[in-house]
Amino acid sequence: MNRLYLILSLLLALIVTSSCHKIEEWDDNPRGNFEALWTIMDEHYCFFSEKDVDWNEVHDRYSVKISDEMTAKELFFVCADMLNELRDGHTNLSSSFNTSYYRAWWSDYPDNYSSRLVEQYYLNFNYLSTGGIDYGILPQNIGYIRYDSFSSPIGEGNLDQILMYLNTCTGLVIDIRNNGGGNMTNVEKLVSRFITERTLAGYISHKTGPGHDDFSEPRAYYYDPAEKGRIMWGKPVVVLAGRGTFSAANNFVSIMQYIPLCHIVGATTGGGSGMPFNSELPNGWGVRFSACPVLDAKGLPTEAGIDPSPGCDVGFDPHAAVDGTDTVLDFAISLLTAGV
Amino acid sequence: MLSVMSRILLMIVAVFLPLLASAADSTEVKPLRPVTSAYMVDAGGARLVNTYLTPLKYSGWATAFNYERMQAMKFSPDNWVMQLRGGITLNRSVNPSGNATMWRLTGDFSWGMMHRWRLPYGITLAAGGSTGIDLGCLYNTRNGNNPVAVEAAWTVNLTGYAAWNCHVGRLPVTLRYQPVLPVTGVFFSPEYGELFYEISLGDDDGLAHAAWWGNYFRMENLVTADLHFGATSLRVGFRSNVISTKVNNITTRVINSSVVIGVAGEWLSLRPGKGVDPAARIISALY
Repeated sequence: MNRLYLILSLLLALIVTSSCHKIEEWDDNPRGNFEALWTIMDEHYCFFSEKDVDWNEVHDRYSVKISDEMTAKELFFVCADMLNELRDGHTNLSSSFNTSYYRAWWSDYPDNYSSRLVEQYYLNFNYLSTGGIDYGILPQNIGYIRYDSFSSPIGEGNLDQILMYLNTCTGLVIDIRNNGGGNMTNVEKLVSRFITERTLAGYISHKTGPGHDDFSEPRAYYYDPAEKGRIMWGKPVVVLAGRGTFSAANNFVSIMQYIPLCHIVGATTGGGSGMPFNSELPNGWGVRFSACPVLDAKGLPTEAGIDPSPGCDVGFDPHAAVDGTDTVLDFAISLLTAGV
Repeated sequence: MLSVMSRILLMIVAVFLPLLASAADSTEVKPLRPVTSAYMVDAGGARLVNTYLTPLKYSGWATAFNYERMQAMKFSPDNWVMQLRGGITLNRSVNPSGNATMWRLTGDFSWGMMHRWRLPYGITLAAGGSTGIDLGCLYNTRNGNNPVAVEAAWTVNLTGYAAWNCHVGRLPVTLRYQPVLPVTGVFFSPEYGELFYEISLGDDDGLAHAAWWGNYFRMENLVTADLHFGATSLRVGFRSNVISTKVNNITTRVINSSVVIGVAGEWLSLRPGKGVDPAARIISALY
């Protein structure tokens, strides 16, 4: 009987102790919200080591700026400045009055794209548009595709129409300068028209715990060619990129750079290779941050951007632009007409 | 000679007597085992947390539809009953600031058997086990790449009930308390910072976890009063559901507390053309 009581007591104790897994909580005041933000980033952000950021030192430096008397806006800008220490375009703080952005990843670099320049002097405002893509044929019989954002959904039928229209061209320019990214599924859909077999697209990993170095082994992911019957492209391709080529667009470049007959022309891309997660603070502000690093097919990080192909680092000359010349596009045309 | 014949006769009787007895058993009237079924609607409050989606505790409402079916087992109808349960639960909750919404939709199904003991004064106690599946998800509307946390579990549960048939005035009433406590099983969880996009690419490592009370605690407590109005009963009661899991450094907690209202009754399925033997005992699963 005593043994039965002991077993029942142990069972009861186990139930009581295991029934409540602890959840960390913060007060909804400036200090509580600051600590919540710092902790969320501390436990989930994925690029501390790669960017050599001492997050504890950042805490100490910004913590002294927090007081219970500060207004919501004052708190917001201190928190936003703290996030900017990460130098990450995927990291934002969102409130009802503002969303913070780290802009230096592109604002510190010269712009290399002008839509007016291309539309007026190269396409003569004579181009077609479908599925978020503008396309036309340049006088040198080079096909031109302009994709502004990977957020714009592309249909397989749209791609068939576009590639069929351009099929007599000797080469193709895909212009994704200032394309700020979007959905990875659109990246896959576009890449699938330029590959003929299952292709290693890159590696992806994720955090396995709150420690700064708690990561899963990078796992390879592959893209397949478009299904049979779809229009494919097997001729030379030039992808125009620049600092404004970010996130999913950066990912597109990271895959296309290793595809035969493809060159990356322009400037180093903007990076943004960490797939973002969302979380929130006790006061309801949202926070977004890089959580899952994506590597290219050689296992190299692309968070800092991807360089153009060798010999294809071409600057955008604003003086030439005044005269109607896009030096980046001109380089791509010459590359394709030379039969690379 | 007569003595020898008598002995042989006695041996034959001794051999065949049990068979005669079993033949007599086979002609015994089989008891009737009515099905007790109940349809219940729950309405109440909810508290939800899932640290994969948000570190904040959300609060809101819970509503559910549940079905329950009980029947005495064929092999030992006086001592064993089976219970089949199924339900669907919907939660809507908001964060403390009220500017974000989290939904939860889950379905559950279980089957179990319980041994019961009929005690004096109309009291019945039952204890046994069940096995069931739970499947659903939490959806946080403000999240981009991590908007959903999937709930999926197969569990083996301890369960039982205490029932008391009594009267309130002249109205017959059955009061019942039933807990359900999973003790082991398998449940799903993504890794700490793993996106469902990665899972969709084929990364299925570390998604299934053996459940024990240290990482998967779940308990349902149901208290009901069946008010018997003729053949049909009105069921009123209270149900609390607590789920607390922690695996891969992801903590989930769901607490639903609801009032229950429903309809319960007993029914018999009979073969066409065959009546009910008036001598048959009726063995109810619950009442």
